[in-house]
Amino acid sequence: MLGIQSTSLPPMPLLLADGAVIAPLAILVLCVVAGVGTILLLPSRRQPGQRKLGGALLLAAGLILAALLVKTAAGQDVSGTGPYFWIFSAIALAGAMRVITHPRPVYSALYFVLTVFASAGLFVLMYAEFMAAALVLIYAGAILVTYVFVIMLAASAQSQSQTALGGGLAGLTECDVVSREPLVAACIGFALMGVLLFLIFDKAGQIAPPPSPAAVPAAAVAAPDAESIHGSTQALGAYLFTDQLVNLELAGLILTVAMVGAIIIARRRVPSVEDAFEPSSETITAALTPLSDDPHSIPVYGTTNPAQKAFPET
Amino acid sequence: MSTLALQHYLAVGGIMFVIGLIGFITRRNLIVMFLCTELMFQAVAINLIAFSRFVGNLAGQTFVIFLLVIAAAEASLALGLVVLLFRQKNTLDADAWRELKG
Repeated sequence: MLGIQSTSLPPMPLLLADGAVIAPLAILVLCVVAGVGTILLLPSRRQPGQRKLGGALLLAAGLILAALLVKTAAGQDVSGTGPYFWIFSAIALAGAMRVITHPRPVYSALYFVLTVFASAGLFVLMYAEFMAAALVLIYAGAILVTYVFVIMLAASAQSQSQTALGGGLAGLTECDVVSREPLVAACIGFALMGVLLFLIFDKAGQIAPPPSPAAVPAAAVAAPDAESIHGSTQALGAYLFTDQLVNLELAGLILTVAMVGAIIIARRRVPSVEDAFEPSSETITAALTPLSDDPHSIPVYGTTNPAQKAFPET
Repeated sequence: MSTLALQHYLAVGGIMFVIGLIGFITRRNLIVMFLCTELMFQAVAINLIAFSRFVGNLAGQTFVIFLLVIAAAEASLALGLVVLLFRQKNTLDADAWRELKG
């Protein structure tokens, strides 16, 4: 059985496949504009006005893309989730943009938390409530706290090696302020984005259609909406602990191994009391031999005491 | 019938992935580079959930659970390595390890 059909949900439609949803030329122009905006917005020693211009260009590109999408999809909305999708995705993408353009790592991490929350909102819109909660707990609660810890540890330790920068960049190191190869990165990234958007919007007719409602049993379709109130968490748990049981145990094993590995990697070797008294070789040395100049004091062989080595006959 | 189709979510996921990729290439701080990989994980998770909703079964959501597991393991190990590297050179600049190019 491949998954549990959550048939009580309305099917998610595919955008109309006849003709181009967004013309390829429009995608190309939008990617070029967004690429220029990204280059200007990435951290560097430019004037603040140029960064504002880059932000404006990115905002314009995003708004035009959203307008094109709204224009093609208008006139069908009865569920009322449409505005939430636009709000959440705008927050998520703007937060992601700030993650990579903010020169201060702590602010990058906090903007990433914003992106995580917006993504959790998108998950809720797709009826994946458990995944939304897990995302917030694991990402915003656990992983990001670790990141912020490490950032603050490093920031307090390297604060003496900061460069003298004026304006709002005081207290930052040079590696945070100047980005590496913005032009090449933007070319690669936005070429990939153009190809992705072209595939998503123009070639989507070749995606295999979802199982039509007629294919599933009529009783399941006619089920009342009570299940959609409870959401898919119960079905997800049943699916995880029946069909995916081995994978779930493997996931736990991976987490355990990663925890042990992280402890061993990050352990600082502290010189302990036991290490100081540990014999360094197989020869048994008398650790308690007094370092006196009298060669006849205690006759011990194999010691590192030079006064005793000089008189081995004792 | 809602106005939101599969392509809307795929577009959000794709754009977020590309943003994370650009950040990974351009930023020089090791911690921010790993934040950008988390951003890419996030984008893939959005795509997986969207396909799960589109196809109508729960396999995509379980994929996202395993993705979260891998992300957590990766974050712990990567941050341990970052701390180790930071202790060696007392900087987070990835260019400080330029000699690793060989």
